[in-house]
Amino acid sequence: MTEFQNDQELLALFKDPSTKERAFTDIIKKYQEKLYWHIRRMVITHEDADDVLQNMFIKVWKGLESFREDSQLYTWLYRIATNESLTFLSQQKKRSSISLSDDENGLANKLKSDTQFDANKLEWKLQLAIQSLPEKQRVVFNLRYYDEMPYEEMSHVLETSEGALKASYHHAAKKIENYILNN
Amino acid sequence: MENKSTKISEELNEIAPFLAKMERVNVFQVPTDYFSYLKEKILTQIFIEQDEKNNLQKVPEGYFDSLSDQILSKIKMQKNESASEEIKSLSPALHYLKEEQTFTVPENYFDNLSERILDRINNRRTKVVSISSVQKWQKYAAAAVVAGVIAISALLTINHKSSNNEVASKNVPGYVKEASQYQTAEELNEGISSLSDDDIVNYLQSTGNILDEETITKNLDAKDLPTPDEYLIDENALNNFLKKTSDESDKNIQ
Repeated sequence: MTEFQNDQELLALFKDPSTKERAFTDIIKKYQEKLYWHIRRMVITHEDADDVLQNMFIKVWKGLESFREDSQLYTWLYRIATNESLTFLSQQKKRSSISLSDDENGLANKLKSDTQFDANKLEWKLQLAIQSLPEKQRVVFNLRYYDEMPYEEMSHVLETSEGALKASYHHAAKKIENYILNN
Repeated sequence: MENKSTKISEELNEIAPFLAKMERVNVFQVPTDYFSYLKEKILTQIFIEQDEKNNLQKVPEGYFDSLSDQILSKIKMQKNESASEEIKSLSPALHYLKEEQTFTVPENYFDNLSERILDRINNRRTKVVSISSVQKWQKYAAAAVVAGVIAISALLTINHKSSNNEVASKNVPGYVKEASQYQTAEELNEGISSLSDDDIVNYLQSTGNILDEETITKNLDAKDLPTPDEYLIDENALNNFLKKTSDESDKNIQ
């Protein structure tokens, strides 16, 4: 694994026109996989995840100039990725509102059309269970379960209190366990 | 008393004479001395219960002194509880499941992702930077020129096709005739991009009566003009804007 410079250094390099592109490349490389997986778990298919990821980085390019360093780059990127994914899902929901009654169904269908999908396998049941959660709970669950994000950082990403996030996560985990056991 | 007992015996004798004559034997047995110690037993039980009650109301020594510390350390522990410890205690099944891979990514997808993103950024920049870095009035003028060319060529295409309006096709300058030959939007776009700055200046000077300042200000509103940010987000922002503007100038011209 490549060692990346810390975020402060990368931001300083980004502000210098001569090193701007190099710094940006490093920021992408440093966070691309984490953000990709965060987005992928939200939008399900690779094509959609690729779209959202590229578009979010283009927005990052524009917004990074005015990025205030009182917040962390890492949580800021997660916030953009989350917002972009949710916006993408709501746009998709609008477009397909005639054929699909709700987006949960749409996402579950997307899961089921994955070539690897196997309804008998627990890991796929887990994915279906996650899609059955309300949107916000789903984000909280993913950030804690997969990204192992501390509640304190998550509270910056989602602009919600730590207590509420913790309650939301516990609720989600129990619901998911029940779903897996009963399906 | 005797009277009562006699009465009861007589009564039974009348109802069931056989039963009245039977010897009365107690078939049930009681442990030896049961009744001798009964009182002590009852009193001891009462005492034990009382004692337990008293104990329940007692607190270990120094309990309250260390309570706040205990609570604080518990909170600290919970706060620092790692996500994996947390899910382990919440749901061992989910903790185990976490390692299972479900989604797959195309091979080498991450290898050149940054290049692809930078390419997109640079392509967009070369398209719009010249517009976004110039003065505001220049933006208006540039947009107006393009809009005007579209509007005029549209107008003249219509006129050209109608045989009744021969004057229009006779008197129009060469470059306008040229514009009217474009049948599709693609051809028109190609034509526009081949125009030199001088062509545009000439065009603006010669058609000042049609596309004068008033028309420009009437058809262009700073509020409607897409911002450079919008160009970056949406490739169609400028096209949509121009289409709207050219529709409006079409209406005005007609």
